[in-house]
Amino acid sequence: MSTEVDTLAFFDALADEMNTHGERFAPLGEAEMVAVVVMGRPGQDFRVRLEFESLGCIGVAEVDATAAQLADFRLEGPLEDWRAMFDDIAANGRATGPFTINSLALMGDRICCTGDDPMGIDKFSRFNQTLQEFFDGARHVAVGTG
Amino acid sequence: MAYDGLPTESPLGAPLDWAWLRGAQSEWGVRPKPSPRGLTMLDIAVGSYADVPEHPSHRSMAPRGADVGDDTADMGYILNWKTDMWSDNVTELYEEAVARQWSATRDIPWGELRELPADVEHAMCQLCTLLTEVEMIAADLPAKWMWRMNHDFIEAKMFLCTQIMDEARHAEVFRKRALANGGGLLVSRGGPTSLLRTIIEAKTYTQASALMHLLGEGFVLDIFRMGELIAPSDVEKRIFRMCMQDEARHVAYGTMHLRYAVDHDPDVAEEIHEALDHGEQVLIDFGTAPDVSTALAVLLAGGVEHVEDKGFPLSMELTKKQLTSYLARCERAGVSRLDRTTIPLDMLGIDPEPIRAANAAGR
Repeated sequence: MSTEVDTLAFFDALADEMNTHGERFAPLGEAEMVAVVVMGRPGQDFRVRLEFESLGCIGVAEVDATAAQLADFRLEGPLEDWRAMFDDIAANGRATGPFTINSLALMGDRICCTGDDPMGIDKFSRFNQTLQEFFDGARHVAVGTG
Repeated sequence: MAYDGLPTESPLGAPLDWAWLRGAQSEWGVRPKPSPRGLTMLDIAVGSYADVPEHPSHRSMAPRGADVGDDTADMGYILNWKTDMWSDNVTELYEEAVARQWSATRDIPWGELRELPADVEHAMCQLCTLLTEVEMIAADLPAKWMWRMNHDFIEAKMFLCTQIMDEARHAEVFRKRALANGGGLLVSRGGPTSLLRTIIEAKTYTQASALMHLLGEGFVLDIFRMGELIAPSDVEKRIFRMCMQDEARHVAYGTMHLRYAVDHDPDVAEEIHEALDHGEQVLIDFGTAPDVSTALAVLLAGGVEHVEDKGFPLSMELTKKQLTSYLARCERAGVSRLDRTTIPLDMLGIDPEPIRAANAAGR
């Protein structure tokens, strides 16, 4: 059964991937960050809070716009850009070229990395490869086509 | 236990001291508990061992928390106030640095390098020449000051040791990249040297930290983030991303050191401003140096053919992002530059108000 990317079930599956495959994350080192992924879609945006500690993702929760503000940083973009990243991961086994999260968030015109504290935003850079590996776990999750 | 009856002289007649066994004045039996990742420096910050003095009474290399004799050697430290180098995130950053070390030999897929068009290879090699040159300043600068820092601030010194290792690796990886794909090291001109001299010759460590961590490394951090656009292949992208993680730690330390210094000694703010007044000018000279700007523009354009219609416009956009990030970090550090900087914000299309508002919201 496939899972849509704008669901809690999808991010729970990514967290399970991370938590059961610490060997992929150990070479990158421990990470401490709270990120919120915001997927813009008609009707109501989907917002999921991801809490990382050590080599695991210890919290996945759908949050409202107010709670989203409390993260270290938010990654906000249209659902189709998020789908494009996960489609690329499914096709190549990992995000490639313009579909890495760092590429997508670089200019802020597709996915935008925002936050109220520059120190929080800089955690996107500090733990970037851990975050990318977390998203790359989608290659093991059957992703819906929307 | 008194341990009575122990000898007072060694078999060779030297006096013996059993004070360490009979109970020194230092705290005993704190038994820190390891966290899930192991026994971290944060875990052992317990009891009196967690207390970092504002102004240590000793200037020796005795470990903080030990029962220190009055006759320990004065090491001649000149940075004896916590405000001189401390930041509230420094212990966390040390652990992060240790956990996230990587190898320029092993962790870069060098075997995947492919022949590039000559102009792109030249531009990549020119950028690597520059980065090999400038990265080591962030090793030399802490090395210049660390031996003058009071040993009670051991966590700050340990973090700076990791920074030195990081920068050695950055110099290594860019030197390797310059040589690895059929090119080599290209030209080194006066611009970068002027910035580097400004940093190394700063009069105080806090001024040096402002120039290096906040200004210089912040600028380089954004170049590394731009690696996604600059890099001609996944090999260089991997290099930039790995360096980016390290550089962001250094910027995080510097920003919060300045914040700590300003919060505890508001007079320091003007000292930092004076350093940045000059540093920003030098940085602009550095960023607009003909060899730097042209190499970046060629990489952003994917070759010389589109350097004017794509390379330079993209380069301007990225400069705007670099300076916006820098100004936001200054706000966070408590040294707002928005009304003082001579960087032509209007010309660059940088609106200071959202930066000011974001800082107010995050406070």
